[in-house]
Formats: sequence, structure tokens, C-alpha cells
Amino acid sequence: MRPAMIASLLMLALSACRQGGDSSDAESAKAGAGAGGGQAAAASADIQIGVIADLTGATADVGRPYNEGMLAYVDHLNGSGGIRSRKVVALSEDYAYKVPNAEEKYKKYVQAGVIAIQGWGTGDSEALRTKVKDDELPFMSASYAEVLTDPKRSPYNFVVAPTYSDQMRIALDQIAAAEPAAQVAVFHHDSPFGNAPVADGETWIKEKSYQLGYKSYAMKSGATDYVGLLQQAKSQAAKYIVIQNVSSPAATVARDLAAQKLGMKIVCLNWCSDELFIKLAGPAAEGHLMVQPFAPPSVAKPGHEAVRAYAQKKGLDLDAKGLHFVQGWYTMHVMAKGIEKLLTDGKPLTGPNLRAALEAQGPVDTGGVIGPIRFSADSHRGATASGVYKVEGGKMVEVAAAVTPKQ
Amino acid sequence: MGGATGIHHVSYASELRLRHTRAEKVRALLVIAFTAALPWTLNNYWLSIVNSIGIAAIGAIGLNILVGFTGQISLGQGGFLAVGAFTSALLAGRAGLPIPIAVLGAVLVTALAGALIGLPALRLKGLYLAVATLASQQIIEFAIRRWRWLTDGHGFVDVRRLALFGWEVPKKSFELVWYWVILAVAVVGAAAAANLFRSALGRSFMAVRDQDIAAATIGVNLTRAKLTAFAVSSGYVGLAGALTAHYTEIVTWERFTLDVSIQYLGMIIVGGLGSVAGSVYGAAFLMLLPPLLAELAVMLRETVPVLAAQLPAVQVAAVGLVIILFLLFEPRGLDRLWRRILDYFRVWPFRY
Repeated sequence: MRPAMIASLLMLALSACRQGGDSSDAESAKAGAGAGGGQAAAASADIQIGVIADLTGATADVGRPYNEGMLAYVDHLNGSGGIRSRKVVALSEDYAYKVPNAEEKYKKYVQAGVIAIQGWGTGDSEALRTKVKDDELPFMSASYAEVLTDPKRSPYNFVVAPTYSDQMRIALDQIAAAEPAAQVAVFHHDSPFGNAPVADGETWIKEKSYQLGYKSYAMKSGATDYVGLLQQAKSQAAKYIVIQNVSSPAATVARDLAAQKLGMKIVCLNWCSDELFIKLAGPAAEGHLMVQPFAPPSVAKPGHEAVRAYAQKKGLDLDAKGLHFVQGWYTMHVMAKGIEKLLTDGKPLTGPNLRAALEAQGPVDTGGVIGPIRFSADSHRGATASGVYKVEGGKMVEVAAAVTPKQ
Repeated sequence: MGGATGIHHVSYASELRLRHTRAEKVRALLVIAFTAALPWTLNNYWLSIVNSIGIAAIGAIGLNILVGFTGQISLGQGGFLAVGAFTSALLAGRAGLPIPIAVLGAVLVTALAGALIGLPALRLKGLYLAVATLASQQIIEFAIRRWRWLTDGHGFVDVRRLALFGWEVPKKSFELVWYWVILAVAVVGAAAAANLFRSALGRSFMAVRDQDIAAATIGVNLTRAKLTAFAVSSGYVGLAGALTAHYTEIVTWERFTLDVSIQYLGMIIVGGLGSVAGSVYGAAFLMLLPPLLAELAVMLRETVPVLAAQLPAVQVAAVGLVIILFLLFEPRGLDRLWRRILDYFRVWPFRY
């Protein structure tokens, strides 16, 4: 009886693991190979970068392609001889969107001797902010929270894209231009990431003396529907719903919205402005707006060509991978450019030097995928311009390129 | 005392001793030698894991005092950790108190909070009490997420570097200094807990656990025993929370969720309910399991790729599996397992 029970438990555990395992593809295997390299102490000539990725956690739907894009860029870079003929090794591990896990991975990378860190979420970027300052390691994350752009508070954090607050400002500008007295409901992830732009949006409305109404609602994670939240928005008489969350829950909102025939318009900020939102929401996605700093592969920009060429060579479908793949690619590109400048200047490869190089390197061109990314000693806000898109015929159609918050 | 037929006492004093046999004294010396040598053999990454084990051990001892020794189940561990962490961070940060005093303040405040939340325990038992403590967990979690005053609206509190008597810990020896600090605090905490259960107060906790009506008839003041147990337990947990705050140098609510409460219950189940040493074993076991699995996943990348691809899920599942296996085969945990091994050798070649 007992051995049978244990055996069945083991089977259960194993089958649970296998379910998600099928979707892991060539890139994530490569990610692992990178981490393995760290264990075996990579050659001193190699440049090591630690990558903290969410591959299975709450934001894995967008975290996975982002991570794949980063590792693809590193692979592409090494394929063309690395940075000044030094190989780049990306140590990448999954932290499942849990802050203590991120700290554990971070300490592991510091021990392995990385030169910089590519992080992911807002909660963990904020938690590691003081540590990267102590360890003097430049840190880029996929979190575009405002607090990370100020070198006085976060001297080693670099934000490559417009902050969530800037995206919110752009969204509110767009709404105010279309309907000056509309009620706006903000649906946000119940976390530091979700909360990041909420207060700044309210301040923006006051500053610009907009007539917009503004109320925020936390989205319970793991909810199977948002009908209750939509009812609250309805009693607010909301015309627009700004969503600061990842694609899967945002798509649920879109579907509930269509089913309830409430006639509200969604404005997604960057983590739900993607192909996945359209795919999951189906026809319910039509007509909604998106504020997205990174151009999707379907809107061809010169910067997509290199990514597309790499994907074709590897047999990947870039359009299926989507814009987060490109986002990961170009985030790593900015870091690599900084390292390249450092090596070109002939300075030793250290964290403080890399920080100075990133600040001094001038605008990094991404071929229009995102506006030129420029850091300075007073500001680690890499860019302020976003594209605005509308979902039409199951595609992201560019409404306006390079929109900045109103001066 | 110790002989081939077991341990026999001829006086109360000898029965009350913490260590009865020469083997136990030798083991204590070995443990001291091991803990002294440990930091010199580990790199900073593994030392940081040892440090988190130390902090978890203090928290687990606290929970064990309540659950294992007094029989009052609690799902509020995460909340009490949060009270300790936020109190200490705010006392050190905003009130500008020296860190040791801030930590002490956190212990007292958490003990008070624990006694307050322990009030329902005077009327509730078992599952009902579990739900009452679950409510406290949710209320504290709600407060630390929504109460903007706590974090100045940032959602997190920065904590300055540990300074002891004016000496700020340098970055290079950060993990090493913390190792000694945590070790010292943990040793004092464990010794105090072990001695508590040799006193009348500790015995009254156990009497409440075994049969509260019988305890009341022999003169144990149930109100006093239960509330003191809650306060002492929460004091330990607050200490662990305060150490977490100063060690990680940031306090966010994400570290104090219900998952953490469950994880600590797992620690004391695996280690052994009603055992101070067991709390330490359990903390070490459950904190080491995930990083060791990560190492295993790296080693088995070629043969079992799913292990690496789904590592966080595998880590969680493994912890769950371990808890189930312990409940099935050794409900009294690692501590009991260790004692069984000892007894086997002590009375060898006899069975008992």
C-alpha cells in the first residue's frame, strides 16, 4: 500500500512538471547551458552577464519571449565574434517572479563574477536596487518604474524605455485629446509593478488641468474573470480602462468587456500591448488602444531586420515570438553597446566603468524599434517616446509613432 | 547514566541536564567546531544561504514554541515576521535608533502583537484557531500592502547597512559578519528556548498542549500560559523578521505572504514538532532543498531537461512531497529520526 502511494505521488509530481515543460524550446535550453557555464567558471576572457528571468511565474507569458530575445541577442553577438572578440556568457535562471528567489539568483551571479545584471520585475528590481549599488553592478530590468531612473536614488539602475508613468501620461494625453471629460478607470496588477504609474497618472491630470475622471482598481491575480471589477468601472461611468498588467489578464478584461457589451475602450500600457493580448482576446481585442515603446515585428522598422535575419537562420517565427522578443533583444543590445564602448576605450571591465560608459556612450540607435536610448550622469531615463497602436483586423496598427508626454 | 540498557537517572538534577551522555557532549563540541569552520569553507553564495537558514531557524523555533510545544496552531507566521521587519526598519530608519535597540524594539512589539492576536486562542482550538490566525495574517498583509505611511508610498522600505557600535559592516565581509551575528543570536535564542522548557512556564505550555482541561485542574492558568506562549513565540518570530530586514536591507510585503507561513509550518513538521533542535534541522533542510535541487538540475541538464526548465515548480513540489513523506513515515520529524539512530547505537546489540 505504502510504496504504491509514494509511486503515485511521484508520478503526479512528475506529470505536473512535464505539462509546462513541452513549451520550452531551443532558447531556454541555451539559457540553461549559459548557467552551466557559470558553474564551470567561464574563461576569464568571457564577459559574464547575469539574467534574472521569469519563465514560469506570474508574468511568464511575456517574460519567456523577453528572455528568449535576450539570449538570442547574445547568441547572435557571439556568432559574429562577440564584443571585440570576447565571448559574452549570459547566466540565465528562472526566478518565478518571487523576490527572495531573485535575491538568491543575484548572489549566485555576483559569486560567479558577472559584470552586469539583466533583471525583470519591479518588485525584485527595487529589492536589488541597493545591492547593485553596493556591488557596483549596472542593472537593467524590464521594469520601467520611475524610481529606477533617478541616479541619486538608484545609481546603478538603467531604464531603457519610457517609464510606466510616462506611458500613463501618454495614455491620458491620448484620452484627453479624444474625449476631454471622459471617466478613466485604471486596472492594475496588485504589486509594485502595477502600482508604479497609478499615483503619477493622477498627478498628471491635475498638472495638465484635464477634466478626466480617474479611479484605480487592483486586479486580483489568478482571477478567472473581471466582471466584478468591470461593474465597478461601470458605476464610475468609465469610458476608458487603462490596464497596467500583463497580457493574459488584460485579454480576460477585453473578453469580459465584449461579453457585457459595456462599450468601454481599453488602453494597454506596454506589458499588455502585444500580439498575445490580441491572440487571447480574439475579436474582443478589436478597437482597443496600446501604448507600446517597442515596435512589434508586424510594423516593419529597419531595426527588425537583424532580428528577423537571426530568427530565419535559427528557424524561429519572429511574428509568433512577438515584440517582447525584440524588446529583450534590444535591451541586451544597449548593455552590449556599453560594454563595447568600455572595451574600445581600453578601460578595465568593472561595474563603475561600465556605468560611466553607459552614461557617456550617447544615443544607441535601434533602427526605429524604440527611440534612440540615451543615458546621462543625471538621468537614467533612456527614452521618453512610445508608439501608440490600435488593434484592427487582429493586428497592431500604428496610430502615431514616437509620442512623448505633452510638455 | 548512559549505558547499554539506556539512560537512567538517579536524581532530578541529572534528569534536567541538557546533555546527558558523553557522546552528547562530544557532539556539542563537534557542532561548535563545525560552525566555527563553516564560513571559511564556503563562498559568499553558499554563506548567504547558511545565513538565511540561521534566520529561518530562529523563526522556526518561535513557531515551534507555539505549535509544537503549546499545541496552538498558527498560520500567522508571515504576518508576525512582517511586524518584526517593519518595526525594526522604521525604528532604525525613521527614529534613528541603533540597530541592536531597533531589533529589541521589534521583538517587544511583535510579542505584544502576538499576545493580542493570541486572544482568540482563549476561546478557540484547532481548526478554528487556525482560521483566526489566518485572518491575522491577511489583516497584517493588507496593512503592509495598503498602509502608505509605512513605506512613504514607495511600497518598500530601504534599510541602512548594519552598524555595530559605530562600525559599519564593509561590503567585502558582509556575509561573514552576518554569519557571526546570526549565529550568536540563534545560539542565544535556541539556548533560551531549550531552557524555557525546563522551567515551570515551559512545562505549563506542554500541559496545555497535552490536555488543557487536565492542565487547568492541576492549577495551570490557561489564560496566562496561552498568551505567554503567543508572546514568546511571536517575540522569536519578530526577531527573525527584524534580522531579515537588516540582512536583506529592504522590506517589502512580498516576503511575508501566506506562503511563508506555510513554509515555516513545513519546517517544523519536517524538523520535528515540539523540539528546539528539530526546528533548526527543519529550517536547514527546507532552505537547502531548493538550491541543492538547482545544482542537481544543472548536473542533470542533458538527461532530465524538464528539471531545469521547470525548476521553480519542481522546487515547490519537492518541498510538498517531503512534507507528505514525513507526515507518513516520521511525523515527529528529523529530530525523532536522529534520536532513533542514537538509541539504536546506544542499546546495541539489544533492540531496546
